[in-house]
Amino acid sequence: MQPVLVGAVAYTANVVPIWEGIRDYFRGSEVEMDFVLFSNYERQVESLLAGHIDLAWNTNLAYVRTVGRTNGECRVLAMRDSDLVFQTVFVARNGSDYKNLTDLKGSRVALGSRDSGQARILPQKFLADAGLADDDLQLVIFDSDVGKHGDTGRSELDALRAVLDDEADVAALGITTWNQLTQAGEVGVEAVWTSPEYCHCNFTALPTLDEARAERWVSHLLKMDWDNPEHRQILEMEGLKKWVRPELDVYASLFEAVKEQQIPDTW
Amino acid sequence: MIISDSDRARLAIRLVEAVNAAATGTTVLVPLHHPDEVDVVDQWCKRTDNSVLAIHDEAVEVYRGRLSDPSSSLPADRMPGSRLWMYTNFHCNLACDYCCVSSSPQTDPRSLSVDTVHRAVKEGIAAGVKELYLTGGEPFMHPDLAEIIVVCTAAAPTVMLTNGMLFRGSRLAVLDAMPRDNLVLQISLDSPTPDLHDLHRGVGSWQRAVDGITTARSMGFNVRLAATLAAGEPHQEAALNALCEQLDLRPEDTVVRRIAKQGVATRGVVISRGTVVPEVCLTSTGVYWHPVSATDPDMRVTTDIFPLEKAIDAIRSEFLDYRRKGDMLAAAFPCA
Repeated sequence: MQPVLVGAVAYTANVVPIWEGIRDYFRGSEVEMDFVLFSNYERQVESLLAGHIDLAWNTNLAYVRTVGRTNGECRVLAMRDSDLVFQTVFVARNGSDYKNLTDLKGSRVALGSRDSGQARILPQKFLADAGLADDDLQLVIFDSDVGKHGDTGRSELDALRAVLDDEADVAALGITTWNQLTQAGEVGVEAVWTSPEYCHCNFTALPTLDEARAERWVSHLLKMDWDNPEHRQILEMEGLKKWVRPELDVYASLFEAVKEQQIPDTW
Repeated sequence: MIISDSDRARLAIRLVEAVNAAATGTTVLVPLHHPDEVDVVDQWCKRTDNSVLAIHDEAVEVYRGRLSDPSSSLPADRMPGSRLWMYTNFHCNLACDYCCVSSSPQTDPRSLSVDTVHRAVKEGIAAGVKELYLTGGEPFMHPDLAEIIVVCTAAAPTVMLTNGMLFRGSRLAVLDAMPRDNLVLQISLDSPTPDLHDLHRGVGSWQRAVDGITTARSMGFNVRLAATLAAGEPHQEAALNALCEQLDLRPEDTVVRRIAKQGVATRGVVISRGTVVPEVCLTSTGVYWHPVSATDPDMRVTTDIFPLEKAIDAIRSEFLDYRRKGDMLAAAFPCA
């Protein structure tokens, strides 16, 4: 039987050991897998739609776009536990006195790449939901890693630098980037508002993928065990403790944001 | 200098940026703007399961991921510091052509005093030493060997390396007075027949060594054989096993080691701190990385024998550093 071919985007050098580790984990199982790396999510989604790959390890935006391109017929097979609890954190210098998003009216707000769910699309939605139109803010935009959907975290770091350089008052960061930064100790910047949880990545498949084959693949994936040192090494690199079945409701905010911001299915 | 929160934030950004771009198991250089930033990097690495590998003048080398315990690949008895070697003296009744410390009858004895051995054993045991090894030179040429053996065997299992050729007269009495428990005599025998052994060690030496083994066994000592071979010289395992049986020894009581290019040896395995798992070795002139290099200035770790724990710590730390950096193709160099 042909292995399931999974697409992933090479946003860091670590992607190679991660997917080699997952591929090796599947070796000898009922349904083996191999992987193909893409330079950006647009190319990956196109390849999924063209049938060149069976599964795409998609960001939330790549998933939303795939839904749009398949008229909602694509399927989600699995996610990381950490994908269910993603958040955006608005941060400002200590003592800024911002208590909530409405306080940001008239402020300089640094946002990340236009295709980043956590650093741009959802922050803009959260601001809009708080009643702040673009005209109410001075947006400082960093489109520094377009194509990677914010995976590199680079545009978030650029946004934080802008706060430190006093070129912005507030920056929107993904929770993982914020947590990493604060491990250095007191950094003179504080969280002023944290978003509700939303979904991040998932394995997206076309409806043409045989369901039984997909289920065998997912069943084996879900057996990766945090307490197994070999599995754990891979899980740690990929940022999860366990693989879980999808919970698609938590993508609702991003679907709304994409619609409200009229983000096209392709660009 | 206290790092400002803002500088700490900028450093955190540099760390996240650099480390996230690296693959697990690789290293990145994170530029420092002030030496005090090292502490921040260290804290960040500990909290994020990354590791500081080296600190340079203007940068810190960060390893992405947790370093595996570099000692985990070594059995406990090979961990640096678990064995303590002591060169009781450097003079010898033989002048072998491969001697790694250039011993001969004319060699300056550079003997360890009983007091020095006593203190070294005491401090070594306190520092985690589990086994003691005595070598030379020929230990039986040390005038106070009997006392040294008492001190050592009372503290830990002891192996004494000897050519086994001096078990006569007063030295035979010294041997007979030694405890049988906690003591192994490791007697050099390079080959199952005299040719190869005598080629390196002198005509007639093979027979006298065999006689010495027989004597020691008859007196109830635990004995093992040690063969030192050059590249290309055959181990002759089957014949050596047969000889072991004749001498009332078990085949597993045989150690085979390579000639090192040290001392008077003009050929042999070239060793350095980076290529040999250390075995702490004490001589009257200092503490060395390994007994096979106990006259090599490059392999001397310190001239200060005491406190011995400091020397052991230094050797262990340097060794683990080699392992961590992956710069090392550690070749086991068993001498016992």
